[in-house]
Amino acid sequence: MSSYHRGGGNRRRQHRDDYDDRRRDVYESPADKLKNAIIKFGDVDAVEELPLIEKQIREFTPVVISNLSEAFRIAVTEQPFKIPHYAALLRRLHDSTEDAPTDGPSLGKQILEDFWKGFQAYLDKLAWRETRLCIHFFAHLTVAKLISTDSMFALLQSFTAVLEEFGVSNGRAKKAAVCAAEGLMIGGPILKPSSAERVQEVINGIQAYNDSATSPKALTRPIVELYSDEISTPNADELLDTALQALRTLDESDFAETASSFLQPYATYPDLDLSTFTLYDLPSVLVPPEVIELDGLSTDSGEDAQVKKEEWPEYFLSLFENDITPDPKTPAGYTVRTGILDILDIFEVNRKECARLLIEYPKWTIPGTFKPKPGGSVNADPVPGRDWQLESTIIETILGASFVLPESCHKSIYYIGVITELCKLSPSTVGPAVGKSIRKLYSNLGEGLDVEVARRFAEWFAVHMSNFGFQWVWKEWIPDLALDIQHPKRAFMRRALEFEIRLSYHDRILKTLPAEMQAPEGHTIGEQAPGPDFEYDDPAKPYHDAAQSVLNLFRGRAEAKDVISHLETLKVTLETSDDGGIVNADALIRNIAIQSLLHIGSRSFSHLLNAIERYLALLRSIASGGASGAGGTGNAEAKADILTASAAFWKHNRHMVAIVFDKLMQYQIVDPTDVVGWTFINRAEIRELSESTGPLSLSAFEWDLLKGALDKANGRVMIARRKVATLRKEDDDNRARAKASGGADGNAMDVDADVKADDAPVDSPALTTALKAFASLTREQKGALSRTLDGFVSCLAPGATDSNPNPHSRVVISEEGWNDRASWEKDQWNAWETWGWYRQFCRSYAPYLRNYSTTLFTVSFAKFEGSTDPAAELLKKTWNVATGQE
Amino acid sequence: MAHVVAPLDQPSNYKDSQTRVDRRVQNDLLAKSTTLYIGNLSFYTTEEQIYELFTKCASPEDGGGIKRIIMGLDRNTRTPCGFCFVEYYTHAEALASMRYVSGTKLDERIIRCDLDLGYREGRQFGRGKSGGQVRDEHRQDYDPGRGGWGAQAQRMEIERRREVEERYQDAQDGPGAVAGGGGDWKEAEGAGNESRLKRGRSPEDEGDGRLGQRSRLEEDVDAERM
Repeated sequence: MSSYHRGGGNRRRQHRDDYDDRRRDVYESPADKLKNAIIKFGDVDAVEELPLIEKQIREFTPVVISNLSEAFRIAVTEQPFKIPHYAALLRRLHDSTEDAPTDGPSLGKQILEDFWKGFQAYLDKLAWRETRLCIHFFAHLTVAKLISTDSMFALLQSFTAVLEEFGVSNGRAKKAAVCAAEGLMIGGPILKPSSAERVQEVINGIQAYNDSATSPKALTRPIVELYSDEISTPNADELLDTALQALRTLDESDFAETASSFLQPYATYPDLDLSTFTLYDLPSVLVPPEVIELDGLSTDSGEDAQVKKEEWPEYFLSLFENDITPDPKTPAGYTVRTGILDILDIFEVNRKECARLLIEYPKWTIPGTFKPKPGGSVNADPVPGRDWQLESTIIETILGASFVLPESCHKSIYYIGVITELCKLSPSTVGPAVGKSIRKLYSNLGEGLDVEVARRFAEWFAVHMSNFGFQWVWKEWIPDLALDIQHPKRAFMRRALEFEIRLSYHDRILKTLPAEMQAPEGHTIGEQAPGPDFEYDDPAKPYHDAAQSVLNLFRGRAEAKDVISHLETLKVTLETSDDGGIVNADALIRNIAIQSLLHIGSRSFSHLLNAIERYLALLRSIASGGASGAGGTGNAEAKADILTASAAFWKHNRHMVAIVFDKLMQYQIVDPTDVVGWTFINRAEIRELSESTGPLSLSAFEWDLLKGALDKANGRVMIARRKVATLRKEDDDNRARAKASGGADGNAMDVDADVKADDAPVDSPALTTALKAFASLTREQKGALSRTLDGFVSCLAPGATDSNPNPHSRVVISEEGWNDRASWEKDQWNAWETWGWYRQFCRSYAPYLRNYSTTLFTVSFAKFEGSTDPAAELLKKTWNVATGQE
Repeated sequence: MAHVVAPLDQPSNYKDSQTRVDRRVQNDLLAKSTTLYIGNLSFYTTEEQIYELFTKCASPEDGGGIKRIIMGLDRNTRTPCGFCFVEYYTHAEALASMRYVSGTKLDERIIRCDLDLGYREGRQFGRGKSGGQVRDEHRQDYDPGRGGWGAQAQRMEIERRREVEERYQDAQDGPGAVAGGGGDWKEAEGAGNESRLKRGRSPEDEGDGRLGQRSRLEEDVDAERM
């Protein structure tokens, strides 16, 4: 809850007896009021308000420093755009006034000293964002001559020291480097005159780290060149690269540009009288090491099962020219981008407020940074080289953040939601920026735009259009219908429309398209609504009667065991039928049973769940290959048949395929490994379903199935891990309690019993069960990951004997091959896309893959020992980078 | 976080008047709830559409996902009546929906999410007199996505139509049955027949959450009254 509005928040709520009216204003103490006034300072006009808030703070009694410093702390860490103004306010609070005695530390200094404690607490928790924003504040205060340059240097250098730690993680190093870089950008004008040498040390430290951390960059750049290790890319910038370049530019001009990149409202204030005032020395700090949670859980084959999300270099796509939106490699551009990113991050709890603050962002920048609002009253002269478009800058930054690979900081839907709110706030200015961004992104398709970025682009497009009446001018893309059917632009159109249909319905979306795209030969949208396809519906079809008999049992809600025995009878009949019997009666029976059951459940998601739940026993029996009571993991062939039957039933509706597979895994009819295996192999049997039939390859749809399976496997391990931790704690607590009460009972406790209790702590039955579950789930996880890796290897580096190999998987990774892409056809684009999903698999599941890297490498790559196959080389290289071995 | 703005993932002030647990327990339940009430749906929106949108807040890698969807039905006709419950596996997913999805459009209507105590038998049905939701009893606007006019307005509409239909039950045919009544001066045509008014969506449907919350509170006050 918001202390902005009502002070104490949760503490207050407990005192209220009326739980219903959460909106009622509650009593706010005068101290709370002051705190809120400090937090709200500057909302209207920081310059005007400054003397007023200063007066309010000075006149308030009793003086409670902790209350004031808390207000500053909240203000600085939650409203970073106001930091320069808080620096000015704190500077003024250092002045002595006529009323206040001049002896003793000034109010400002006392607040600063107390503020430091808050900073230390953030640092101890490794709350990086808060830590970094406090450093901004300190850097401004150094320029305002409140903090000694020596101690500021020392602070920055304790962050560059992190970069030299042995085995420092990418994520930790990146965050520490940015802290030091930004502190120096702001503090440079006063730090450099005091020691140019120490400035160099800081910059060189960051540079050295950045130079050493290049290999992961090739794997996360959003514009892909499979044939090269090049990490610089024309349409994207990496965060730390941009910070360094901005910093170097500033340094070259001795930080003259700082004043034109950061507000310095305190710059005109007279220096404090050094006879009565001493600069504050920031105490020295050590960035604490990362806490590694040791739950001691390992898989049954001894691998570490800990999941540590490794952070990758952060590339941001750039969509506009530098005269439209700032270049983040310049000091002013870097400042604007990080300013917007901070707002985006901090206000994730309220996307509407976030949008409002973004639109108001120019207020916190140097006048002339952005073009004035049309009809706005304030008309600052444009600053040469700036005068950027606010809305384009915001949208470019949000999209950049939402397309960070392998995954964005928040869920995609958050970024989508903020853009929606921005469009609602100011449709006439944000709308065009969104349109231009879509066109720019679209133009990158086929020019190397990463497949995962393209997938998120399609997702954003569909959800955005769903919020704005599906109004897109599709006709401008009609000429692209001449491209190959698997060209990324055409794949995008199909996918975006498919996602739109999922959110709406077929006829509605069809209406939004021009005739060329509606036409079946346009291959852009299905002719009909994506309904089910019950294979045995037509009385003329073979086995129609058999299927009807099964269907009737389901309709009559027959018991599972009756259906099972009916299926057995049916099988015998089919096997001994007049026309010589069926070759694979098992598969046929499975198909009939599964399709009939799905038919019963085809009316809605709930109907599906009801059908599955009612016939769980039947499904389990089928999955076990008919061997009743087999239980356990079932029969692989039978489970593949179940998946094939489901996919065939929903072949016109890939959304439903994904939903059915998910629930079949959820109800444990099939395992994630079965879905992975099916996706690589059996999926090709259903031609309607797949965009990549023919040679083995994967499109976005197959990737979604793989991801669904892998996430399910990983999620289960996560739950099992939590459960073990909880039960272990319970066990420990119980033991401790027993021991304590035993000790209290009598001092003359039996020594033997004591030793026994200490030596052999026996797990509770619940914990034993949970540990067993954990062991089998990690086994399943490893299996699913291994199966996926294997699948990719056989797709991308097929052996001569592999069935259905894609002959182009080696061509598309060569430079000549890529440069020849204008003549690529379906198979080449499929191969290229499959490489893209392999990259996404490696980088996105790296935290899981790392735990099993040795085994998985051996299993999948051993066969390439000594091979010079370029495909094998690239497979291994990608793997090694992702698992941190290169 | 969030001293500066109020987070969007707080439950509204709705209280289920038919629940038996006391308010403190209700608050505890809400604090770990995995279920959302979704309101202002079109009667035509399918579970699959709902699934698609709400999947975007799911965290399967964390053991989450959509557990089930319970479509709100008209008690009498067993047809969707414009609300549903979405149940996730984790609380975090429900909160994410509150922050990211509530107040955005699905099927071209602005939907509203609220943390819910959890589904119990019977809650899938509307509590209005007509069988639908109470909010559709009193609605004065024409909302094509929610069965046209509100239920009361619909009843009045039916009543009016019956009056019109009954009025001429005694009409005769043959010469002289229809009065001539004079000629020459011609009246403007078309008056008197009921043209289906096409009205915009009511402002309250598009309104902010707070307005919606209030109307939902009234809904249950009303259900009590029955």
